[in-house]
Amino acid sequence: MNSVEFARELVESKFQVLKTEVVDQYQISFEVTRDDVHRLLSMLKQAGWIQLSYLSAIDWLEDNEFELVYIVMNWDKALHIQVRTRIDREHPEMDSVLSIFPGCKYYERECHEFFGVKFPGNPDFEKQLILEEWDDIPPLRKDFDPRAYSDAHFAKREYEDRHTVLNNQSSKQKQREARKERITTIGKGGRK
Amino acid sequence: MTKEEVDRKWWEIGDFFRRNSLWMLMYCTGCCAIELPPAMTSAYDMERLGMGPMATPRQADVLLVTGYLSLKTLRRLIYTYEQMSEPKYVVGFGSCTINGGIYHDSHAVINQLDQYIPVDTYVAGCMPNTEAVMNGFIDLMELIKTKKADGWKRYHENYEWYKKNQLDSLGSIEVKDEFHE
Ligand code: SF4
Repeated sequence: MNSVEFARELVESKFQVLKTEVVDQYQISFEVTRDDVHRLLSMLKQAGWIQLSYLSAIDWLEDNEFELVYIVMNWDKALHIQVRTRIDREHPEMDSVLSIFPGCKYYERECHEFFGVKFPGNPDFEKQLILEEWDDIPPLRKDFDPRAYSDAHFAKREYEDRHTVLNNQSSKQKQREARKERITTIGKGGRK
Repeated sequence: MTKEEVDRKWWEIGDFFRRNSLWMLMYCTGCCAIELPPAMTSAYDMERLGMGPMATPRQADVLLVTGYLSLKTLRRLIYTYEQMSEPKYVVGFGSCTINGGIYHDSHAVINQLDQYIPVDTYVAGCMPNTEAVMNGFIDLMELIKTKKADGWKRYHENYEWYKKNQLDSLGSIEVKDEFHE
């Protein structure tokens, strides 16, 4: 039994999995309901997936949902498992997995900063981590417009239209045309 | 000789030595920084221009801003720039410091470095190749020689203007993070 089949059997026998997706021989993803996440993660941890490699969110604007993705990794079996779950977008909130994977502390802060998902249970999920003194909606939400923000906050360089003729030099275009004309006349043996 | 003339002579002498031994502080903010290793090592060997790396801002002459600056880095850059002892020069690398480059519409990256600190010379390109980098350093020496590298004086004269721009974009310049609590 290879590790994909092992993981699949392990998870699907005990949990109600909404969707399983085998990405390749090193990655598999399970979508579960939000209440199952903690039990599933702690079971995976006991089964050897001891490291939380990443935790982030995906913004599904049309479904009005966030999808949280937990990626756990096993150092003995070469298999990453993604645990996915959907949460409400209006009041995004998910209990912290700090008690299972202490390393989630910073990922949860990051996720709160970029998507606005709240993680009760993590004492400092609201502290700023990467963006400092952010004053707008979380920037990785799909309804945030980075260009408008950039235009409003940062000065842009203005260019004058003087790339073509500089200091009364004759423009290169004219020289080029004259040269081309000369070449065609030579090509025709001096005749016009 | 009047006092001004004596002063000017001393500045000229000082500039001669300064431009032949520039110590640079590399603030490797973006990907342009990858052009510094070939410039420093045997391929181009910037030591022959008398340039060497320096670890602290207090003893450095040139601040190399290599690439895009996020708001977070800009705060630290302003700290670093203000710590440097005068005269100090700034070289901006790459299109990111000139007009934002490929990050011109990013929410996190500033567009124009010379709104926040004075820049003496730019090296254009994304990324500039190493010849351009070396050429930029030689340009800087030439500017020091002809007394045109006066960014630090402009910073004094237009301090209010620079501070205003910094505040407009950054909100506040003080660094408030876990290490400064
Ligand atoms: S100019 Fe280009 S190479 Fe340099 S920091 Fe910007 S994106 Fe990177």
